[in-house]
Amino acid sequence: MDRKEGLENIARRVREVLADDPAASDELRRSRAAVLEKVGRRKMTSRFLRWSPGVPRRRSMLLAISGSFAAGAAALWIWTRPPTFEIGEARPGELGDVVEATDGRVVPVSFSEGSTLVLRDGGRVRVLSLNAAAARVLVEDGVVDATIVHRQARKTRWEFEVGLYRVTVTGTKFRIAFRAGDGSLRVSTEAGRVVVAGGCLEAPATVGAGESLEPSCAPPAGPAANDSAVAPAAPPDATPTVKANQIERWRQLLAGGHLLDGLRAAERASFDQVCRVATEKELLALADAGRFFGPSKRAVAALTALRQRFPGSRDAGTAAFTLGRMAFENDHDYRKAAGWFETYMREEPRGPLMGDAFGRLMEARLHSGDGTGARASAQQYLRRFPGGPYSSEAIGILSK
Amino acid sequence: MHSSPRNGSRANLSQFRSWWTLATEVPSTPSRITLVTPLTFVGDDAALVEALRVGHPGAVAALYDRYGAQVRLTLRSILGPDDDIPDLLQEVFIRALDRIGRLREVDRLGSWLTTMAVFVGRAQIRVRSRRRWLRVLSPERTRSRQLEQPPSDARRAVREIYAVLDEMPIDQRMVFVLRHFHGARLAEAAEACETSLATVKRRLAQAEARFLEAVRRQPGLAQWLEEGTRWTEKKA
Repeated sequence: MDRKEGLENIARRVREVLADDPAASDELRRSRAAVLEKVGRRKMTSRFLRWSPGVPRRRSMLLAISGSFAAGAAALWIWTRPPTFEIGEARPGELGDVVEATDGRVVPVSFSEGSTLVLRDGGRVRVLSLNAAAARVLVEDGVVDATIVHRQARKTRWEFEVGLYRVTVTGTKFRIAFRAGDGSLRVSTEAGRVVVAGGCLEAPATVGAGESLEPSCAPPAGPAANDSAVAPAAPPDATPTVKANQIERWRQLLAGGHLLDGLRAAERASFDQVCRVATEKELLALADAGRFFGPSKRAVAALTALRQRFPGSRDAGTAAFTLGRMAFENDHDYRKAAGWFETYMREEPRGPLMGDAFGRLMEARLHSGDGTGARASAQQYLRRFPGGPYSSEAIGILSK
Repeated sequence: MHSSPRNGSRANLSQFRSWWTLATEVPSTPSRITLVTPLTFVGDDAALVEALRVGHPGAVAALYDRYGAQVRLTLRSILGPDDDIPDLLQEVFIRALDRIGRLREVDRLGSWLTTMAVFVGRAQIRVRSRRRWLRVLSPERTRSRQLEQPPSDARRAVREIYAVLDEMPIDQRMVFVLRHFHGARLAEAAEACETSLATVKRRLAQAEARFLEAVRRQPGLAQWLEEGTRWTEKKA
């Protein structure tokens, strides 16, 4: 036996022992919680460590020139730095925190670049992301009066996620009134304009100055229906036996985030018929509810309906991936799982789940006894995602 | 005054997908507050780095979920079984989050984390070395931090192998374990150790020679070196 072979023997056995680690998932889970807790604590303390730029003083010409450079640099820093926000008078805001106006109070949220949100009537929001060019706010409930300031020479993009809807701000002053309980939304614009999309809207709707929009998921009442009522997403072939109030109920529950209740309401209204009228997002939500709360056959039905009714859409690709994941994890049907992952990769070659689909395809092939296929997948994975989360498994497969 | 929806293409609601996927992360009663915390991040490595830099609330969890297992395996390859690994794993991620602003090649997030793991693992080897000295000086006041593994030939052999590695210069050991136990290519090992390919090759040759010499001096390990299937047979 030569030196190389001997080393490889030992290395292979060490890798086997290291990989045979029953405590791995428990350790990973505990460390995950600890990391998230530490990061959370550090965010809290960092509030007290923010730096404030000083004011340069002019003492001589030389100092003035340096001061000009410093001021220029400071201006550039101020111009490019991410904005911050404060809640109420002076409490620094953190991304992801709940900001709520309870007990009839009015709570202002002030952003460093000049925009403000005023929460009233139980208004509850979270600022999801914030940088110099864009901001994203989740409106969970209540009334939010927004005044958005766009910097000159720089168009800032603000988006509000409200239940099933998304409000994109292209103008200045507007009100969002959202009732999470029934999913109802009213957007009123005082100045400028906003674009409302999603939910029951078939197309994005622009709401200009002095206008308001109240999208309704209820089916149209007839020819005399108010023009302001937005047409429901249900296609014309919606079976009349699904009662209108039942349709509205599961939609409202899903829009309010009550996935389990939404699923049960959909079952009461006839799940098959619901799958024929639901939008892509509603079908994904029903599938999530089925996967999570059971029965999983509901998830399969919703995802299958999504793929049949919206072929070629990104959500159809996501449905293929999810079906593969369910076949792998729930049914241990690895051949079927491999087929779904291949479908996702074919339909969404640049999709965000591509790396995961590659890795899972490799594992599914390995479990189904397709060693050659697994090796091919492992090689492809390492070529495409060197150092990716499945790379150690890929290396392990190739070393066998 | 009410406006009517205007015609146009259906808006892309992919961002909204993340809102729905919250439910899949939280296996508890579906209260609304639970459903909106934490937010799930969806996106590739470049998007994840950007999300970490701007403080997306779900980005840290996403980073850990994507690379936690890989970093842990790297640490185990470097150190062998060690009950400090959970703490070291946290240290790698905290260091990475502190330095995420300095990462230039955002698509090399995985290998950058491996470099962090190598750094942390190297520091831990030094700590262990100091502990060994303390144990020599005051054995009753220190205890071994080596994890007590269930007895088996394979695990005992691995412990002996890491004892051999403990006697090796740290730079040689790093290259050796990354190449042979972690399965890294030479270029990857060079990147993780932040050194040149030529240096890695030189250190690897020295480490291999030293390792084989040490293993051959131990009858048990020498036998395993020559009988590569012995462990498998024992396990079976």
